[in-house]
Amino acid sequence: MRKIAPWLLWIWIMVVIWAAFFYAPLAEGFVGQSSRILFFHVPMAWVSFVAFLAAGAWSIRFLAGGRRVAHDHAASAAVELGLLFCVLATVTGALWARVMWGAFWNWDPRQTSIVLAMIFYAAYLALRSAVEEPETRRRLAAAYAVLGLVVAPFLFFVLPRLTFSLHPDTVVNLRGRIEMESRMRQVLAASSLAFTVLFFWIHRIQVRLKARAERAPLGRTRP
Amino acid sequence: MNDGSDWALVAVNMIIWSGLFLYLLRLQRQLDRTERDS
Repeated sequence: MRKIAPWLLWIWIMVVIWAAFFYAPLAEGFVGQSSRILFFHVPMAWVSFVAFLAAGAWSIRFLAGGRRVAHDHAASAAVELGLLFCVLATVTGALWARVMWGAFWNWDPRQTSIVLAMIFYAAYLALRSAVEEPETRRRLAAAYAVLGLVVAPFLFFVLPRLTFSLHPDTVVNLRGRIEMESRMRQVLAASSLAFTVLFFWIHRIQVRLKARAERAPLGRTRP
Repeated sequence: MNDGSDWALVAVNMIIWSGLFLYLLRLQRQLDRTERDS
């Protein structure tokens, strides 16, 4: 199964790409084909949120479960990948904004909140780089990532809803409903699932690389 | 609704994602080998 799983994921993503262009209809009120970015932009933002939550969860396990280095590796790998997906979501969002709103950047509440999330988690990596002593570094980083369990949901779900936004209605809107054409909904769900599985696969590889670096000669183990 | 340019976009997307996949698979196999040898 371990050998087949990546190929199943590959087939799944190929189907999602095909479906994004040929199965899902264009959304009403969007310029040209721009609404198709939705099937990549939203899952990327979703995965960055999942990654930050996962980092918090592994940090709790680190602090409460015997300070195992493997849990610290898992938390830091999740933050790194979360930041990567955050950047990808921002870039795809900026491209979409250029088409829809005429400018790459508009200081929309959702754009602002994702920048704040990036700064918050970039600070996590800066904190790790700043502390020399490994045990202190791991403990401080874990405490910071646990704080992120409050900050990330606020930045991703609360702050963007507090003021007027140029963004279209959120996938699950304020009335608690998903008002989206059914084929679009199917492709978005399939894409989100594919990106989530992809994240955990890359995460597993990243953790193994960190473990290998830890065993390597001194000086190659940080951050 | 769909013309040749859509197919070109789909093809570029598929090539990029397939490249990423092959890279990740190679990395995973390298790790498997290293961990088996050590």
